[in-house]
Order: sequence, then C-alpha cells, then structure tokens
Amino acid sequence: MAAKILPVVKLATKVTIAGGALYVAYGSGLLGSSEQGSVALGKAKAAIPPAVQEWMKYFGLEAQLPTIPTVEFSPVQAWNSGVRKTISTLSEAPTNAVGYTNQGFQYMKDLTK
Amino acid sequence: MSEKELAKKWDRCLADGAIKLGTGLGLGIVFSVLFFKRHTWPISFGSGTGLGMAYANCQNDLRSFYMLHSSEKEQ
Repeated sequence: MAAKILPVVKLATKVTIAGGALYVAYGSGLLGSSEQGSVALGKAKAAIPPAVQEWMKYFGLEAQLPTIPTVEFSPVQAWNSGVRKTISTLSEAPTNAVGYTNQGFQYMKDLTK
Repeated sequence: MSEKELAKKWDRCLADGAIKLGTGLGLGIVFSVLFFKRHTWPISFGSGTGLGMAYANCQNDLRSFYMLHSSEKEQ
C-alpha cells in the first residue's frame, strides 16, 4: 500500500516545488516586461546588504566583513571612452604614419651625413 | 526618439536580458534536477527561452515609439 503511494507522493512533491518556483518567478515580475524586470533587479540590489548582514549575524561572524570601498568605476564610461580613443586613433593613423615615415627618413639621412 | 530615451531603452534591454537569462537558468536547473535526471538540455532550454523573451521585450520596446496606438487610430 505504502509502496504504491510513495511514487505518487514523490511526483506530487516535485510538481509542487517546480510549480512554486514558477509561481515565484512569475509573481516577482521576472518574466514580465522590461520595466518589471528593472524594478525586480533594483529590489534585489537593495535587498542584498541586509541579507548579507543577517547571514553574518546567523553564523556569528558579525565584525569580520570589512566595508567594501566604493570604487568609482563606470563600465559605460569606460566603454565609451575606449570606443572614442579607438576611432580617433584609426582616423589619425594615416597622418601619423606619414609623420613617422618622414621622421624615419630624416633620421636615416642624418645617419648618412 | 531622443538619444536619452534610446539610451534608457537599451539599458532596460540589457538589464532585462540579464534577469531573464538568470531566471531561465534557475528554472532550467530546478526542472533538470527534479524531472529530467540532471540532464543538461533543460538548463540550455531555460536559458535560451529567457534570452528569447528578453529579445522579444526589447524588440517591442524599441518599436513602440513608431507604433500607432488604437486611440490615435480612431481620430
């Protein structure tokens, strides 16, 4: 009797867990539009430090985590400046090449003098 | 569409893509462990579905500026 019910119970548990995961994902707006997704990301970012604090307290590691120094780094700014530098280098490359070639010729001339 | 608006839309697209990829990956892992004997294909399927949803959202968002809404059509 128990041997017959066990597989059904197992399946029911698995379906409940999977269904719960889907429900949580749908309910928190993770599967919705872009705005809902950004809102969910903001909420998650805001919830991380208190959650880390709670876990630290739970494990008794209260005073161990040093404050992370705020790094003034913006990936967007870095990428944009990289693109600008690359394009300006490419656009000045012919002029620079001519200049360096002339310098090279002058140097060779000076050597043969 | 102004540059600022476009930049915001792209930011939203990327954030949404990351979220949906993570969600798809997570759900794929859950399903893989529970129902599919820890095979890899549900994880790939979930990630792909998440990315596809993000792509569709982004496409809709970027096109919405040029779409005629039904309220304007009636005028």
